[in-house]
Amino acid sequence: MSARAIVLRTLVFAALALFILLPLAQTLTLSFTSTLRREDIPTGSYSLINYRNIWESAALTSSIVNSLTYVLLNVALCLAAALPAAYAISRYRFTGDRHFLFLLLAFRMTPPVVLSLPIFLLFSKAGLVNSPVGIAIVHCVFNLPIAIWILESFISAIPRQFDETAFLDGYSLPRFFVKLLIPAIAPGIGVAAFFCFIFSWVEVVFARILTVTAGKPITMAINALFGFQTDIGLVMAMTVVSLIPGVAMIWFVRNHIARGFVIRT
Amino acid sequence: MKPYSDKAWLLLLPAAAIMCFVAVIPLLTVFNYSFHDIFTIDSRFWIGPEWYQEIVTSSRFHAALGRSLLFSAIVLAVQIPLGLWIAVLLLRAGRVATPMLMLLALPLVVPWNMIPSMWLTLVRDGTGPVWQALDTLGLTLDYKFNALHTWALIVAMDTWHWLGLVVILSYAGLAAIPQAYYQAAAIDGASRLATFRHIELPKIAGALSIVLLLRFMDSFLIYTEAFGINAGGPQGATTFLSLDLGEDIKAYSYGSAAARAMVYFLIVLSLVFAFVKLRQTREAAT
Repeated sequence: MSARAIVLRTLVFAALALFILLPLAQTLTLSFTSTLRREDIPTGSYSLINYRNIWESAALTSSIVNSLTYVLLNVALCLAAALPAAYAISRYRFTGDRHFLFLLLAFRMTPPVVLSLPIFLLFSKAGLVNSPVGIAIVHCVFNLPIAIWILESFISAIPRQFDETAFLDGYSLPRFFVKLLIPAIAPGIGVAAFFCFIFSWVEVVFARILTVTAGKPITMAINALFGFQTDIGLVMAMTVVSLIPGVAMIWFVRNHIARGFVIRT
Repeated sequence: MKPYSDKAWLLLLPAAAIMCFVAVIPLLTVFNYSFHDIFTIDSRFWIGPEWYQEIVTSSRFHAALGRSLLFSAIVLAVQIPLGLWIAVLLLRAGRVATPMLMLLALPLVVPWNMIPSMWLTLVRDGTGPVWQALDTLGLTLDYKFNALHTWALIVAMDTWHWLGLVVILSYAGLAAIPQAYYQAAAIDGASRLATFRHIELPKIAGALSIVLLLRFMDSFLIYTEAFGINAGGPQGATTFLSLDLGEDIKAYSYGSAAARAMVYFLIVLSLVFAFVKLRQTREAAT
């Protein structure tokens, strides 16, 4: 590769890194700045006050727990339902398989605003409002299709002889799943869990309408901080905290992130 | 060839049951409501397709549809070529590739309602670094009252948010191309552009079509991020389709909101149908 191409590439990457990091850097800086008029700390100076305020606010700390609860529940639910479905799609043809895949794609593409009203009515009747279980279930509408596509592409990469040998050896289907299939597609489960985790973590519309009085997620706790006199430093500190789980997830899947996913039709 | 067995449905049962509960039943409910005039959920009157007639003939709907289409067109025109170019550069970047991909994935993990607040702190009058940088150049950014500036801000923010997904999925497609193709191209003395046009582009067409569909849908029905910047303003200049629907729900006109939701769902459904048909004809041809 010519020297000019390398210089160009370096410049592009540097510009890209600047573009991505600029809003994040500003957020991080503000989160360590005292932005409200306070008696002991001058406005605009470096301070840990915002993080201390998060720690001392029950509403903010419990919102972190609420968010983590429904996101982890959603990941578990999606993986448990997607694994057998992905296996069936990868290994068999059956009546209505194409229609099923078509509907999966259509539901993934349907925006939450379209479903928000009936979801609220249905979930209030079922007693799933204000509970992390409700949000965990409703987030399946966009996460389950993605989990199925990712797991299906990983299962399809394994030759069918693998299953046939196991069944000849006397494995039952559930035992085959647990003992052989899951270890064989472990990176796929990691990637699926990663996408489910982040899409559930960042979602706002469903999380808002399903938490009327209690069980507020981190996104709504941040929204509630905006008011007549907004402590923008506290908002930004809370945003930084909300990034930590996602950043950890990126770190865990960094070597598999580029596997992406393929939509089956 | 895969064996044929309807017993496979047993394995699909959990997934199908969940999808019924969170998607099929709600959609049927919306469908039902869209033919009613609703005062409260318990007192509603059948009015037939009146809402639909009102919506598809209203200039408000046409304007929002036009804005959403324009927004999607801009977003795709910016993000797809840019993301593809970065993916091609990353493919030859060696060890830098993984850290760059991780960096690009960062915006994807930011909660959606926080993205506008982060961007607003950048452009805030007087204190935002971007505002200050533009100010020293003699430019003023007035995203609140200048429609063009609001649009530019939302497009920049959306590119920041989603470029990573375009790069990751394109990179995944490119990385799967066997080296032998590149060696053959090198032996034939193909130029960089010819290699891209005749080897890389056809090979990643599948991955790229998914990126196109995902990006089109998510930008076409953008809600949270666009609302956070200027709540659809100035004077409705950024009131996209979903923001319009949000207005209906907030005004408690559920019948109209349901019909609007149904219209949007039909747009989604027909686009997905076209996408699937296109892929099937392409697969049959190869």
